[in-house]
Amino acid sequence: MGGGGGSLGPQPKAKRGKNSKRKKKKRVGFVLDMTPLVDIAFLLLTFFMFTTTMVTPQIMEMKLPQADEPVEVIEDDLFSILIRKDDSVFYYRGILENTQLQPVTLKALKTVCIEENMRPGKENKTITALKSDTSASFGRLVRVLDILNEAEMDIVKKMSGQKRERKFTLAPVDPKELEAMKDL
Amino acid sequence: MSKIKMKRTGFVLDMTPLVDIAFLLLTFFMFTAKFKSEAESEKKFQIKRPKAAADTSKLPDKDLAIIQIAIDSANQGDTSYYFSMTNTEDRKAVYSKVEGLTAEQREKNLVKVSLNLLDALILQSRLQNLKTKYAIDADKRIRYSWVNNLTNVMRKNKANVFNYVTDKRQGNREKQ
Repeated sequence: MGGGGGSLGPQPKAKRGKNSKRKKKKRVGFVLDMTPLVDIAFLLLTFFMFTTTMVTPQIMEMKLPQADEPVEVIEDDLFSILIRKDDSVFYYRGILENTQLQPVTLKALKTVCIEENMRPGKENKTITALKSDTSASFGRLVRVLDILNEAEMDIVKKMSGQKRERKFTLAPVDPKELEAMKDL
Repeated sequence: MSKIKMKRTGFVLDMTPLVDIAFLLLTFFMFTAKFKSEAESEKKFQIKRPKAAADTSKLPDKDLAIIQIAIDSANQGDTSYYFSMTNTEDRKAVYSKVEGLTAEQREKNLVKVSLNLLDALILQSRLQNLKTKYAIDADKRIRYSWVNNLTNVMRKNKANVFNYVTDKRQGNREKQ
């Protein structure tokens, strides 16, 4: 105690002359030098701040229908989204023989998806099938899924009050579809 | 009677609030810090996860089997499957029952596996614990066929519900 105080603590006052009328102050409490403690605390703080990674991975849940259960589908309910080798996206409704593939940009895909799902009378019936070429990148698939999820949120909002049943599946690309996509 | 004015040298600053806040932050970062798991320290690859819109869903850490599809950083273009499980007891049971793993691999958590082995691992992990959840942690640059083959194997084993691991997309959503 006493003289060892750092620059922070109140310094003991220098003695003045013998005839000083000041009384010696009674000492209350004590001074503790906090400097090393604070040094270490800041050192640890900076260490943990720099080593912490703030981005934690999140997940995208997929629920696929059972593989070996064939489902009967009304042609008009089927809404297919295709991803080509070069990551471009197409869509069509129904079966390929009766319709044309439409190219679509990622920006427009959300609107298209909402429109297809909100057709009057077909709100809970439309089945969205996402088919990706096996040579397309996984990143693109997730991007499209993400857009579909965003569209889903809007659909639920628009169908306020009614129950929404989402029908979605991942499917392999048909050879005919591959052929149709090639020249677009 | 007149007091002698002392010359003022230096000044006293009350550091208490500063130290309070410093300790508060210190405790916060200490408690939120997550150290590398066993599997992470074993791996020799880096996965560039695809980005998705911000979501509150987090990767569960109980009874999780993670299948990673990564591009080997040493051998450019060499993609392979890696399997790991978070539940140690289940992992030991599953790894000992699956044929085709080497003794060395059985001791580890993260194993590099083929698609056939993955089939056995998924089946065995489902038999061991039906609550096992599956996560696919794939690099966004890989071809979809890798994921597709895996998905088919999982569907065959009736693991129809699984998760894709993604990263949060920051800021402008039009940027990829």
